[in-house]
Amino acid sequence: MAALPRRIIKETQRLMQEPVPGISAVPSETNARYFHVIVTGPEDSPFEGGLFKLELFLPEDYPMSAPKVRFITKIYHPNIDRLGRICLDILKDKWSPALQIRTVLLSIQALLIGAKPGRPTCKRRSRAVEGE
Amino acid sequence: MSAESDMEYSDNDGDDYDYYGGQDDCDMETVDRSKADPEYFVFSCLKVEEVEKLLNESIELLSNSLHITPSLAKVILHAYEWNAQEIINKYKENSNEVLMYSHVKPRVPSVQVYSSIKVCAICATSPPIHKYSALACGHYFCNECWTTHFEVQIMQGVSNNIQCMAQECEVLAPEDFVLSHVTNPTLRERYQQFMFKDHVKSHPELRFCPGPNCQWIYHAVAREGARRVECLGCELLTCFTCGAPHHAPTDCATIRKWLTKCADDSETANYISAHTKDCPKCQICIEKNGGCNHMQCGACRYDFCWVCLGDWKSHGSEYYECSRYKEDPNLINDNQHAQAREALKKYLHYYERWENHARSLKLEEQTLACLKTRINRKVMAGEGTWIDWQYLWDSARLLKRCRYTLQYTYPFAYYMEVGPRKELFEYQQAQLEAEIENLSWKVERAETTHRGDLENQMDIAEKRRTTLLKDFLEFNTTNASSSKV
Ligand SMILES: [Zn+2]
Ligand SMILES: [Zn+2]
Ligand SMILES: [Zn+2]
Ligand SMILES: [Zn+2]
Ligand SMILES: [Zn+2]
Ligand SMILES: [Zn+2]
Repeated sequence: MAALPRRIIKETQRLMQEPVPGISAVPSETNARYFHVIVTGPEDSPFEGGLFKLELFLPEDYPMSAPKVRFITKIYHPNIDRLGRICLDILKDKWSPALQIRTVLLSIQALLIGAKPGRPTCKRRSRAVEGE
Repeated sequence: MSAESDMEYSDNDGDDYDYYGGQDDCDMETVDRSKADPEYFVFSCLKVEEVEKLLNESIELLSNSLHITPSLAKVILHAYEWNAQEIINKYKENSNEVLMYSHVKPRVPSVQVYSSIKVCAICATSPPIHKYSALACGHYFCNECWTTHFEVQIMQGVSNNIQCMAQECEVLAPEDFVLSHVTNPTLRERYQQFMFKDHVKSHPELRFCPGPNCQWIYHAVAREGARRVECLGCELLTCFTCGAPHHAPTDCATIRKWLTKCADDSETANYISAHTKDCPKCQICIEKNGGCNHMQCGACRYDFCWVCLGDWKSHGSEYYECSRYKEDPNLINDNQHAQAREALKKYLHYYERWENHARSLKLEEQTLACLKTRINRKVMAGEGTWIDWQYLWDSARLLKRCRYTLQYTYPFAYYMEVGPRKELFEYQQAQLEAEIENLSWKVERAETTHRGDLENQMDIAEKRRTTLLKDFLEFNTTNASSSKV
């Protein structure tokens, strides 16, 4: 495996030194591109008090391509499907290489806070993209 | 797009294609042709190189009149759907707005100062300052990152819409900027191929032939309604307006609705179709064999119509009666179940005919192929020349054209409101159908049919077809259809 890009090293160091409150992201001992993520259910959200396990993987062409993130813990959320896949624009067409693991984790946290029953689901968004 | 690019396109020799050029030089011809053929639509079928030439003319025009690079001209043309004149006018009024609308310039410029750059925000390394570059937005990143960014985007098939790497920056990378960072020859070639495809797709006067592996591109002035274009390469009939298989007299929105419905309902339709084979009197299951709609139940001897399951006696001797589907007013107001059944029955009536003619078209395609071989054999054996047998070939082609139109009359009729106009339509449809079946019969026996007889039948069928199209093609009848309500 190729040497770890400086960008990933920097991001990992910063995540360790100043972690995002309510989120722990630890790189796997065997693969520095694979992170074990635990998100605490945000206060005043339907998920308060829960602990949610996620996996985050940085593909070969990261940061030109978005990280791959998935919920491992079962969660009922209009933007998260049964396989734990997350419908989040910055993980798809709105990804920019200037975004970071930190911004992705913050966005996922925001997604949990903003969860209301009846929010538009993934279907509608994906259709809008196709329609372009 | 550049002359030295050695993209592999089919080098089909196209000496035999007829290029109608602009509309101006053939007004007379257009009038004549459209009188004979209500579907006549001016278009040309172009090869890739010809389309490149056509696009380059617009690019040159814009780059010369706005004094910008051809690369920028491409970005702007793409954003404004290749309307160079509109761009030039708008640019005179407010050049900034044009540049921002096309994402050449940012709405909010960057505050970053070039001389103060210390580290590339993407890769976190610090190359020397001359190794950074930025688009018009001023978001500087190191050249190595730009290269990787472009390579990833090209691999994903993006070409015209590669954005700046900065978060939420929508500025697009023009061709020269991309190519100055990408050196891999395969990727450069891919990029230019995708670019060309994107340009054709964004151009309202161009459309790729949807035929499998077909390289031809149609060129026409876009107009409303079902517009027939025929590919010189694969002979496919396509609607220039919507890209679906050509569908006159049905309009674009209706054919989309119909095709979706057919796809959605096929399960139910198949199920019901299988179950309506029960004898309406004794419910015994009956196999339909042969094309005749007159059915007789083997068990109870009940004579009925396969299409409407009605008593055959009520159909009299009028064979084509069931082409005119009669909505049963007594059943409709009964209850929901009956209504659903009625709706399904109606749908099946049209769907089965639609399917049936599609099948016949395929069979006649084979007839056409056989005919070609037979004619060839005759010519080789000294029985006349190609010209002598041309009429046989023409008759089979005409049959195909008529059958094709007939097939597409069914979705049209399905969505028509009940009333005198629909009655007229279905009357004409039944007449067309009858003449097509006559023609089909004669074409199958073409060599034993008298030439005059066959040509006469061709004439009648084509007249029925054009009459129907003239009376019901949307853009021929705007007045008629608006007055019907
Ligand atoms: Zn960099
Ligand atoms: Zn930018
Ligand atoms: Zn074609
Ligand atoms: Zn159409
Ligand atoms: Zn019976
Ligand atoms: Zn009937």
